[in-house]
Amino acid sequence: MIARAITVSGGLAVRNLLLVRRMPSVFLPALIMPVFILVATAGAFGGIGAIPQLEDSSYLAFTVPLATVMGGGFAGINAGMTLARDIQGGFVDRLVASPAPRVVLILGPLIAACARSLVTTTAVLAAASLGGVFPPGIVGTTVIYVMAALFAAATACWAMGVALQTRSVQSIPLMQIVVFLSVFLSVAYVPRELQTGWLRVAADLNPVTRILEASRATEFEGASWSTLGPGLAASTLLIVGLGLFALAGLRGLGRR
Amino acid sequence: MSNRLAVRQTGALARRSVLDTLRLPQAWFPSIFFPLTLMAIFTGSFTETFSRVPGFPDVPSFLDFAVAGAIVQGILIGGTSAGAAFATDIEGGFFDRLVASPVSRAAILLGRLGGSVALGVGQAVLFIGIAVLFGARVEGGVAGFVLVLVLAAVFAVAVGGLGVYLALRTGSSEAVQGTFPLFFALMFFSSAFFPRETMDGWFRTIADLNPISYLVEGMRDLIIVGVEPRPTLISFGVALALAGAAVGASALAFRRRLGDG
Repeated sequence: MIARAITVSGGLAVRNLLLVRRMPSVFLPALIMPVFILVATAGAFGGIGAIPQLEDSSYLAFTVPLATVMGGGFAGINAGMTLARDIQGGFVDRLVASPAPRVVLILGPLIAACARSLVTTTAVLAAASLGGVFPPGIVGTTVIYVMAALFAAATACWAMGVALQTRSVQSIPLMQIVVFLSVFLSVAYVPRELQTGWLRVAADLNPVTRILEASRATEFEGASWSTLGPGLAASTLLIVGLGLFALAGLRGLGRR
Repeated sequence: MSNRLAVRQTGALARRSVLDTLRLPQAWFPSIFFPLTLMAIFTGSFTETFSRVPGFPDVPSFLDFAVAGAIVQGILIGGTSAGAAFATDIEGGFFDRLVASPVSRAAILLGRLGGSVALGVGQAVLFIGIAVLFGARVEGGVAGFVLVLVLAAVFAVAVGGLGVYLALRTGSSEAVQGTFPLFFALMFFSSAFFPRETMDGWFRTIADLNPISYLVEGMRDLIIVGVEPRPTLISFGVALALAGAAVGASALAFRRRLGDG
């Protein structure tokens, strides 16, 4: 049973990744947007890098974790988009009627989202290198990849949960808006110490803040458990919570 | 056909265009929600820092600075939706029925543009109203406020005209919606969110060449400085040039679609 689940999940993950080549209009924006966010944010708000709290680093370097985490978010959203299309196209019905365990329906795209986040993170790091900001050593770079992949897993669970609950491609904007807001209501543009009012409160409560801070602190100060721990804990919390949301949608499959 | 009748037809089609948008939350919600959300997020992010950034203009608060960018962004998103709605009219056959009826052809085009103007001015009033509620001030007073609305109206004609042109050329609402990322990029590669004086390198060069920069800066000066002839005239010049080009292109595309051109 477990061996079959792993095999089918792997097959679905490969199918999800192959769709990148078959439907580039759907997946290319998810690759381009994180690089666009890096370039546009660092270019437009580059002047912020001159203030004392940020003067030790360039604003481009400060923006790298925002773009890699956002890239993970796009990879996760793609998992939900694909699942919504598969539900409407009847592919999911055929899979549910097969002897494969249902959980593969979310495990396969989840693995594909994490794999796709490796590509978007690489694209962002390559673009940053062109701007003179190079990856921060093996451990630091690994942490940046891991944080983006964990966020991809969390957003994939969210997007697939929405797809399973609504069973319609019309729910794609909902998947996107929530992911965008979760990132922009964190420490997207300045550190928490510099935020004011309601945004500071939102960033304090937002788990994505810890993920971005873990990635950013590792980039600037090197890896340490004090910064990595909250990021890993926040990612785990999101993946478990949103994973349960996706599983709830999976249980309802075939009932309606 | 009498001019009076053509004006009435234009008014009726503009009203239909506005009601069409207001009836569908997915058509108006993004053009209100995204600019207001970004304005709020940028204000929360940069209120503490903007005054220490070299080259940043002397403004009482970041919110005052951000309003003009939000207005232009709202009009850009709204114009895309309006273009997509026009394309839906073409896809659904309403456009063909309209063309076959005795309705003035100019009214078909002007009605759609009139709808864009009404929505663009409405957005500007809403955004300024919300900003004032949160403590922003229009330094240009009533004259500055009116000039901002006129600028918003002219720019709405430009964006609406571009949306109509794209709808007429492609006949596909998806294709028109697909241009949204381009508009989004235009906004970021301009001084819509941060002043050009704080940018450098190739990014600064693109912002210098981007007409959106001059449009937003003129509108922003009316809010944060007051009514000053030079930036206001430059802004109006850019908006009128864009509107003229977009309306001209959409009129040509209209004739071509009808097989007249």
